[in-house]
Amino acid sequence: MPPRTLHPALRELALTVRILSRNPSAVMGGTIIAAMVFLALFAPLLAPYDPVRLSLPDRLLPPGGGHFFGTDELGRDIFTRVLYGARISLSIGLLVISVAGGIGALIGATSGYFGGKIDSVVMRVMDVILSFPSLVLALALAAALGPSLVNAIFATAFVMIPKFARMVRGEALAVREMPFVAASRVAGAGHGFIIRRHILPNCLNSAIVLATLTLGDAILIAASLSFIGLGAQPPTPEWGAMIASGRKFLMDQWWYATFPGLFILATVIGFNIFGDALRDVLDPRIRR
Amino acid sequence: MRILAYTFRRLLAAIPVLLGVSVLAFLISHAIPGDPARLIVGPKASKEAVEAIRKEHGLDRPLPVQYLHFLGGLLTGDLGRSIRNHRPVTEDLADYFPATLELTLASLVLCLSVGIPLGILAAVRRNRFADHAARVVSVVGVSTPVFWLGLMLLLLFYRHLSWLPGSGRLDVTSAPPAGVTGLYVVDAVLAGNWPLLREAVSHLILPAFCLSYVYLAIITRIVRSSMIAVLGQDYITTARANGLSAGRVVFKHAFKNSLIPTVTIVGLSLGELLGGAILTETIFAWPGMGKYVVDSVNALDFPAIMGFTLVASTAYVAINLGVDVLYAFLNPRIRY
Amino acid sequence: MRIWSLVCCLVLVLTVSVAHAADKDTLVVSVPSDIHTLDPGVSSDNYDWRQIYPCYDRLVKYKVENGKGSTEVEPMAAESWTVSPDGLVWTFKIKKGIAFDDGTPLDAEAVRYSLDRTLAIGKGPADNIGAIASMKVVDPQTLEVTLKNPYGPFLQTLATDGASIVNPKTAAKAVGDDKAQAWLAENVDGSGPFKVTEWTRGQRCVLEAKPNYWGGAPTIKKVIIRFMPESADRRMALEKGDVDIAENILIDQLPALEKNPDIVVHRFPAQMTEYVYVNCQNKKLADPRVRQALSYAVDYKGIIDQVLQGNGMQMRGPIPQGMWGHREDVFQYSQDAAKAKELLKAAGAENLELTLIYSERRATWEQIAQVMQANLADIGVKLKLELMSNPTLRDKIDKGDFELCLGAWSPDFADPYMFMNFWFDSKNAGLPGNRSFYKNDKVDELVRKAAGLSDVAERKKLYSEAQDIIMQDAPYIFLYQIQTIVPMRKDVKGYVFNPMLESMYNFETISKN
Repeated sequence: MPPRTLHPALRELALTVRILSRNPSAVMGGTIIAAMVFLALFAPLLAPYDPVRLSLPDRLLPPGGGHFFGTDELGRDIFTRVLYGARISLSIGLLVISVAGGIGALIGATSGYFGGKIDSVVMRVMDVILSFPSLVLALALAAALGPSLVNAIFATAFVMIPKFARMVRGEALAVREMPFVAASRVAGAGHGFIIRRHILPNCLNSAIVLATLTLGDAILIAASLSFIGLGAQPPTPEWGAMIASGRKFLMDQWWYATFPGLFILATVIGFNIFGDALRDVLDPRIRR
Repeated sequence: MRILAYTFRRLLAAIPVLLGVSVLAFLISHAIPGDPARLIVGPKASKEAVEAIRKEHGLDRPLPVQYLHFLGGLLTGDLGRSIRNHRPVTEDLADYFPATLELTLASLVLCLSVGIPLGILAAVRRNRFADHAARVVSVVGVSTPVFWLGLMLLLLFYRHLSWLPGSGRLDVTSAPPAGVTGLYVVDAVLAGNWPLLREAVSHLILPAFCLSYVYLAIITRIVRSSMIAVLGQDYITTARANGLSAGRVVFKHAFKNSLIPTVTIVGLSLGELLGGAILTETIFAWPGMGKYVVDSVNALDFPAIMGFTLVASTAYVAINLGVDVLYAFLNPRIRY
Repeated sequence: MRIWSLVCCLVLVLTVSVAHAADKDTLVVSVPSDIHTLDPGVSSDNYDWRQIYPCYDRLVKYKVENGKGSTEVEPMAAESWTVSPDGLVWTFKIKKGIAFDDGTPLDAEAVRYSLDRTLAIGKGPADNIGAIASMKVVDPQTLEVTLKNPYGPFLQTLATDGASIVNPKTAAKAVGDDKAQAWLAENVDGSGPFKVTEWTRGQRCVLEAKPNYWGGAPTIKKVIIRFMPESADRRMALEKGDVDIAENILIDQLPALEKNPDIVVHRFPAQMTEYVYVNCQNKKLADPRVRQALSYAVDYKGIIDQVLQGNGMQMRGPIPQGMWGHREDVFQYSQDAAKAKELLKAAGAENLELTLIYSERRATWEQIAQVMQANLADIGVKLKLELMSNPTLRDKIDKGDFELCLGAWSPDFADPYMFMNFWFDSKNAGLPGNRSFYKNDKVDELVRKAAGLSDVAERKKLYSEAQDIIMQDAPYIFLYQIQTIVPMRKDVKGYVFNPMLESMYNFETISKN
């Protein structure tokens, strides 16, 4: 690699960032995401209280006074818990995407690359998974595994695998017909090498777009599972779980369920509009 | 004929998928920890009573045998008996299905009647206020947690404004209308019972809106983008140049041609609506299949969970199939 | 936008609120969940019994004294009874003139058929009347029942839902050998004051009064049981006057209800107890000192004053106040973190990590679990919480696959047997009752001996001795005995609460004015 020019990947990145910075929705989405990441990272510094410490005499206080968003049924500060919740929801999103993206890409690349029987069997299995409405499948899986945040993440990731597998398979089918793949094969490269070196890198752009767009979905599904009681367990300040607890107090203590929901909404909006803008920029058909 | 052959081929291809669905559903529902036999006899019963029930329900047999037994019943339209109440699952589902269907159809009507005009408007007034508004509505729509939206609707329209009822399909003292469809709105019309119709509709508004909101956003988006694509094509420009009125161009030509992607998305939405009903039904205490499956999960009612999952995913597969066929029909250029 | 104005019009038309006050003949009760079955031989759930109980007669019923439910029984379908000196053979004389809806008389054969049916089905209700060894119809009005061994609370068990008398003609409705379970799950065929006329799944169940009931026609002609899962919903419906009685209202919503002049919030001392099972078979919890430490750690006062808003009372010993055998002088734990730490140190159990499992059966449990988590943290024990569905939880309890678990218990018949024998006899280990898998030979001996006697004073003494041992062994954390709270509209009159009949109503004597 000639040392005087930037690494091509870096150059690509710089170009992408420059184009994105001229796109108003990308800037808006990016700002929301950045703000959430900031809140998550610095929650211990920003939060006025301890997120799990109980204070029974301060139960269900309305917003105001020392409590921005009021307190919950155990006297904990909801603002503090919402801030810590940002850490949890963002981590859930990232974990789900890495697991689903990783496994999905591997399945898709293998299936597309080898084709034939393997391909049709694997894709049939993906069809089966896709024939379930995603929430139904996630719910059944989470119930089967037992209620915990880790299991909810796994269940959410599981239902998202086919999306990635299909996308990568499509790319793999196209790439494997390319002359450079044939050339590598003639040069004695193994299957693993070709998949790693040629097929996966070519799917990167689409994968990033899909990942950004799916991140919002992942956060929503995981929060839904927590809402049903199949996700985060107390005292974890997960947003969906907080809304579930707040639901019992909805009629008299409106603040409890309202604020965590607003944060979910904002975060998912952030990922969705950023993902849309990213697609416009990274999609090669639009870009060149 | 080609369409028929295509349909037949697609039907054949759906069989292994449905078999796979039944296996997956069976495995998952049996992986749920807990002992259904214990549930039947109640907490204070003795160990012998539990064993006897386990035997009676065939729960002591190996899993593959239980699955084959289940599959055998399935072919004769028997989904087994619910563990909770001993009723045939098919009867239970038949009781709960109309409620879900009514909710889903109402949501679909809402989606289309608001989503399509909004999408058209956004396309015609591209980059003007209506377009931006539609964009905001659709971005917010796909990003809203359904369960939270439901709670907020309850808080506003039920708790504070008292405009709309907050749960169930009818007011507390009203008896369901006698009727064939099980859709209260339709049955009330058929019976000419107008007060009951009003009740049924007013109970339907909040859950239907809550359920439709996400899909409304998606439909608006699709209609807008396909309209824009069509409006940019040559024949539209020609039609305009020939002096056709703007309204005629938009509705007669452009909208018709943008229907294809809309049909696809409507079909897909219908399947997802069935799934999305789980959260909506839970929030609004809507006595449909979604609520039924959540209760079944809580009661470890395997036959009931299986029954629901099969019905939901079969419906999903069938709708997709229907959409594909319709798509092939609308667009003759597609290769079968 | 024409469409929008249309929508607006529609909304306006639909939302003009209509008053829905039910008439005087109709009583509407809103309850949290759908029912499962109408079969008295199958159900062991008070929510089902709510509908089943008023549709059937039983040999005996609970007395009502000065408008209060008593735990003593009096004749219902039975006119009188005698018992042999050894306490084994009971002879019941059945009242004449009671008939089922189709005219079939309620006679000795009907009683034998019903009890036999419940026993043969072998589900939960069978265990309540499990003392019965055999039955003989002497003549149409006389039934002889022989017990396996003398059993103190036998008469009480005949007032339970499982002892309801079913029309023997239902035998013809049997499919295969299901003993008419499929049919009786959805239909009732009893001689009671009401009958179920509609059950719309997930929505409501309707009972209609029989004007010719032998005990007198009920004032209320129709009872609507409306299933509304959310407490907030039930409360709003009660305030709006759509329903007359609202069950299971969250404690935090009570103050608002109490301010409403149209509503009365009834509170009754009940024998519903809530406690924590401490799994004695678990290695970490085998040492009684560790269990004592846990009992010393909990902030009973905080839980009762704050979470329960004062609607409960700390338990003193395993037998609740109001049941005979309760002792005011038995040892009671209170929060003492220093002592708890000392005990843990003595037991060599520092840095303990435990898991508490619980379900959502009670709205307060999640809060209590979190309070306990904080309390245990104060004595250096790390507590993990796991919320699970009720069936999963029951399964874990049955297998002993847990460390700590939150539970509730209410007696099915008025005898300390429901507590002392169910909770502590090692024979009942697991879900049937001894949920902490407690085993103490001396206690086993004492409670078993007490169960076989019919002399109350003697039994009291044995149970009393057992209680002292139990409090030291601390196999459960005895939390509180909770009041039953039933909010209703002011115009509902004549409701009688009975601690044996939680969530059940005397519809036949309730009226509205």
